[in-house]
Amino acid sequence: MAILEILHFPDPRLREITTPVTQFDAALSSFIDDMFETMYDAPGVGLASTQVGDTRRLAVMDCSDDKSQPIVMCNPRILWTEEAETVDEGCLSVPDHYDRVTRYRRLRFAAEDRDGTPYEMGAEDLLAQCVQHELAHLDGGLYIDKLSRLKRQRIRRKLAKAARRAEETS
Amino acid sequence: MSKPADAGSRSRALAARAISAVIDEGRSLDAALATLPADLPAADRSLCRMLAYGTLRDHRRLDAMLAPRIQRPPQPLLKALLLVGLFQLEAMRVPPHAAVHATVGATVELKMGKARGMVNAILRAHQRSAPTLADDHPGLLHSYPDWLADAVQADWAEQGDGVLAAGNQRAPMHLRVNLRRTTRDAYLQTLLDADLRADPLALCVDGLTLAEPVSTEQLPGFANGLVSVQDGAAQLAADLMKLADGQRVLDACAAPGNKTAHLLERADIDLLALDIDESRLATHAATMKRLGLACHERIADAAQLDDWWDKQLFDRILLDAPCSGTGVIRRHPDIKWLRRASDIAQAATRQRALLESLWTTLAPGGRLVYATCSILRAEGSDVVAEFIAQTDDAREVVIAADWGAPEPVGRRIAPGEQGFDGFYYAVIKRAGG
Repeated sequence: MAILEILHFPDPRLREITTPVTQFDAALSSFIDDMFETMYDAPGVGLASTQVGDTRRLAVMDCSDDKSQPIVMCNPRILWTEEAETVDEGCLSVPDHYDRVTRYRRLRFAAEDRDGTPYEMGAEDLLAQCVQHELAHLDGGLYIDKLSRLKRQRIRRKLAKAARRAEETS
Repeated sequence: MSKPADAGSRSRALAARAISAVIDEGRSLDAALATLPADLPAADRSLCRMLAYGTLRDHRRLDAMLAPRIQRPPQPLLKALLLVGLFQLEAMRVPPHAAVHATVGATVELKMGKARGMVNAILRAHQRSAPTLADDHPGLLHSYPDWLADAVQADWAEQGDGVLAAGNQRAPMHLRVNLRRTTRDAYLQTLLDADLRADPLALCVDGLTLAEPVSTEQLPGFANGLVSVQDGAAQLAADLMKLADGQRVLDACAAPGNKTAHLLERADIDLLALDIDESRLATHAATMKRLGLACHERIADAAQLDDWWDKQLFDRILLDAPCSGTGVIRRHPDIKWLRRASDIAQAATRQRALLESLWTTLAPGGRLVYATCSILRAEGSDVVAEFIAQTDDAREVVIAADWGAPEPVGRRIAPGEQGFDGFYYAVIKRAGG
């Protein structure tokens, strides 16, 4: 297994729109393992393929505290949602920033697992939030798209500055 | 999606701030915790307090465990957070992964998100292999500064280790029932009705010990003055005063007023309460009001007789002298790090000055009770013994009691003994009368 590099906003690859996973094989399975390892290491509760520069339509999630609930979503789609609420959210591609966004509290989604077996699952609270967050990634979206332009620019400047500093020290 | 910065992270971040306020800014832990945000839920508040108290109790040991893992000293607040992290891994029943996650998350709360990798790496390394520390060094073993560990060992001989260890235990919550409003048995029943378990304190006639500490808001009748929170050791002062109705009594260093109130609950006396600190005396007034008691209150330095004394002698004087507080370290672990070795001699000088000044205000035949919550002889027996030796009409009244152990003069209580705080008492009688 390997820890993959997580792309940071405003990397254009984060804006790619993914294409459905069609080949469920050992290579895919190994890539999924790497995604889990990368996500746990970050630490995150969800990671989408675009965040590590891949364009297959898939994401991994685990909202437990002890790595006990890993979920693979290939080709996911949301079936229904209910009860919008405002929650704090952060993204591994927008490091060290959290903001308030509106998400549905409960939803049901359909997807395929790493072998291509279809399943449906209900989700609420953090997991529901995570499903919505990762699905947005698969269509080239970021949660900060929901924020004001001004806020987005401020984040962009902050990240650019941090990146420059990282380069100077390395 | 990133791991959410959850409430657990907030508690850790706030605990780190409180610890840094004590260690780096020299503020008291009480003052630091008084600034916790009002909207902090009760569970997070109590977790934050537990983390701050625990980390300060263990500060030196934790610091020694951190030292080999860092190349250069991190900024103070980050270091405090790392120690909070180590404390959880060492001493708390938090699952390690949750402790690490919440502590790493706290870096974001503290606007030090860049340090999250470092915090994560250090805590995980500690989880894999915690360093073993030398256990033959009392200051390190019990987490005290060397000067204090040495002073305690010198004063307590073979009991020294036990006294140091007792300072790291969590203290029980003792209550004092207001005998003017109710009885101990009646209040015990009131507690029982409120699902609070308590037992009588064997050596304090109006004292109780709660099975589990609670906030004063949860104590039935607290606001109406049925009961006060006071350690059993402090409750012994009232017995030693041997009060009778009509006596003229001085409480020389009275704030926040717990002992004053106890005296007034016991007898109908004419009491003057002095304190040098205006804000603390305001707390004193609030205590009197809550308990429905009355006395004269005055802001003054008790040692400056010209400022306050009307030349009327007192039958009884309680001198609960300002001290190092080394007997209440289990309730105030910040004391270990806020005091300096030189503070002890300074406190002793002040204690001696108070004794000498107040002595002239004591009626012949009257008694003065000297008390400190210090466990060091320099602030206890040494001060009183020297005073008696140099004062013609001062006589020690030997305390016959089932608590504590006799000193060259007076008696001292080891912290934890009978569940009490560490304390020192001496009774001095003025000859004649």
